[in-house]
Amino acid sequence: MIERQLVETDILIIGGGTAGCMAAVEAKEQFPQYKVTILEKAHIDRSGCLAGGMNAINAYLNKGETPESFVRYVRSDSCGLIREDLVQSMSELFEYCVKKVEKWGLPILSDDNGDYIPRGRWNIKINGESLKPILSRAARSAGAKVYNWLVVTNLLTEGDRVSGAVGFSLRNGKFYVVKAKAVLIATGGAAGLYRPNNAGDASHKTWYSPYNTGAGYAMGIRAGAEMTSYEMRYVALRTKDAIAPTGTIALGAGAPQVNAKGERFMVSRYADLGGDGAPTPYRAHGPVQEIKEGRGPVYLDTRGIGPEKVKELKKAYLDMYPSQVLYWLANDIDPDKEPVEVQTTEPYIVGGHCQAGYWVDLNRRTTLKGLYAAGDVAGGAPFKFVSGCWAEGVIAARAMGEDISKMALLAPSDAQIDAEEKRAFNPLKNRERGKRGIPPADLEARLQKVMEQYAGGASTYYEMNQEMLTIARKKLATLPGEVNDVVANDLHQLMKAHEVIDRIDVAQVLVEHLAYRRETRWPTYQSRTDYPERDDVNWLKFVNSVKDRESGTIKMMTRPYEQIVPGDRYRP
Amino acid sequence: MPVWIDPDKCNGCHSSRQPPCLRMCPGDLIVKDHAVNKAYLKYPEDCWDCLPCIKVCPEEAIEFHLSYQFGSSGAKLAPHIHKTRDFITWEAEDIEGKKEEFTIRTKVMQIALDESVEDGPQGPDFSI
Repeated sequence: MIERQLVETDILIIGGGTAGCMAAVEAKEQFPQYKVTILEKAHIDRSGCLAGGMNAINAYLNKGETPESFVRYVRSDSCGLIREDLVQSMSELFEYCVKKVEKWGLPILSDDNGDYIPRGRWNIKINGESLKPILSRAARSAGAKVYNWLVVTNLLTEGDRVSGAVGFSLRNGKFYVVKAKAVLIATGGAAGLYRPNNAGDASHKTWYSPYNTGAGYAMGIRAGAEMTSYEMRYVALRTKDAIAPTGTIALGAGAPQVNAKGERFMVSRYADLGGDGAPTPYRAHGPVQEIKEGRGPVYLDTRGIGPEKVKELKKAYLDMYPSQVLYWLANDIDPDKEPVEVQTTEPYIVGGHCQAGYWVDLNRRTTLKGLYAAGDVAGGAPFKFVSGCWAEGVIAARAMGEDISKMALLAPSDAQIDAEEKRAFNPLKNRERGKRGIPPADLEARLQKVMEQYAGGASTYYEMNQEMLTIARKKLATLPGEVNDVVANDLHQLMKAHEVIDRIDVAQVLVEHLAYRRETRWPTYQSRTDYPERDDVNWLKFVNSVKDRESGTIKMMTRPYEQIVPGDRYRP
Repeated sequence: MPVWIDPDKCNGCHSSRQPPCLRMCPGDLIVKDHAVNKAYLKYPEDCWDCLPCIKVCPEEAIEFHLSYQFGSSGAKLAPHIHKTRDFITWEAEDIEGKKEEFTIRTKVMQIALDESVEDGPQGPDFSI
């Protein structure tokens, strides 16, 4: 018999990461009368993308920049299609959020006049090794109640209204039923849909947090929320093996990309798009083509930057990706003497870099009543990075506080809770039943094999066509039924089981999105060999989807693009 | 194996049920063997190399290693948190034994030696 724990709250935040912590603080500051509860899968001090730290805020309006100039830049960087209303609204709050976190203790590098030191046009330098604990302590101090090690498995719904969430504790094995008036999803994006770059004991040496496994997307899909732009996957250009961010080198040391012959291919082949400053998809697409056409490996040319710059780079990586420094030490690499090899990662689904996620209104309300989304799980607004996730947390918190006065706590039906308890604990029950079953790792390998080989993985240079996607669709369709046979030996494995089950739901929606957009808008992120050109006449619009709760059918639709900031959409 | 807890240095944080390294691992990969009073990385293949475990260990018992597939062992990288908690110094050594140090500003939060699932942090916070 599984013990149940009932929790009641006004505002429920699922995911205590970048967006979730900031939302909790804003909610408690603006609406102290409301109870705010955070459910966190790990420990809130070091969970999510920021666990290792951050060395820059990469979405900030430096002197002379405005929300309009930011929208223009993000629009051209995203190949002419974004939700301009969302991007503009988050940029208006960058300053508010950054100042707040600085007040909580984050060291931000300033000059003698007290101005932040820019690292690039939209970037400022921070010493953010402890950024996550700084945020989590602010959320706790503001009065939010935090439940750590609580793996949320599903939303509770009454009709089209979300009334709470359920999940299990990794520590005590209890089943938690949380009733809430408003629910914010802030669970981050999805890693692990495709085969990772590295194998063995480095299989989690991924760029995006391997513990962000698309739970928030999956819960929304299962509850019938409208999703947008999954087809705009994110393929990151990262350092070889260590998979550390390259912005630190490209922006920090001004290092251009070169191929094996020393040719600055971004300049020679992508000059009309801005060369080394081309839109981010092209800065991944360029090196992929060099390697595909036999001119690899590809490097960031750091030669001659000098020992002082090298020291600065190492310090920057120690604040975020220490393994990059250990990699250089172990391989006797001096970036001043030899260029830094780079590679592209497996595709991720992440609304903070690209725009896969919930379809939201200006206040980050999703299409389900009582459900809000912020951060990497929210769609339509790329270039969020850290500060945009904070801004969305603030916007959603304010909206929840306003909306909540009209909302009552609903009592979810026992049938719904019983069914979800059964589904959540089924992998443990399978072990008790003595089933041989499917270990979570095997299910993950099956999912990643299908996605890698038929849905545009790294081994096919991220390319795909309708026939491949049809095979992916067919192979994925067998998995939801087999999920019933997954076996978990303990609570940790139960979490691992749900991490794969969630990704199967996300992958199915992703494949439908990839198949639906019949153009290539974001090369490498979304390379259709059968529709290789961009097509503004037919596809300057958002591809959205809703999974029908009864039939399980994924219904595709489009939503119009609206230009708010005037100007050429393809120029920053 | 990306991080390794030296059993000679680990004291299990005494009677702590959930020592800081175990709590701070975002992947839930570290467990404590209460029979021998030591923590260990149970699932090395799932490690992200993010290092909160190393930074919070009061005994500095956790070593950072590169996965062997990425390069030879022998290089070292170890963070030391200053008593004032506003600086972190990284001690680095390459495979030829050449040493380097990097001192970086930070703001390290205090952390309790133990924490209960139901009731939160246990006992006074300590400085590393």
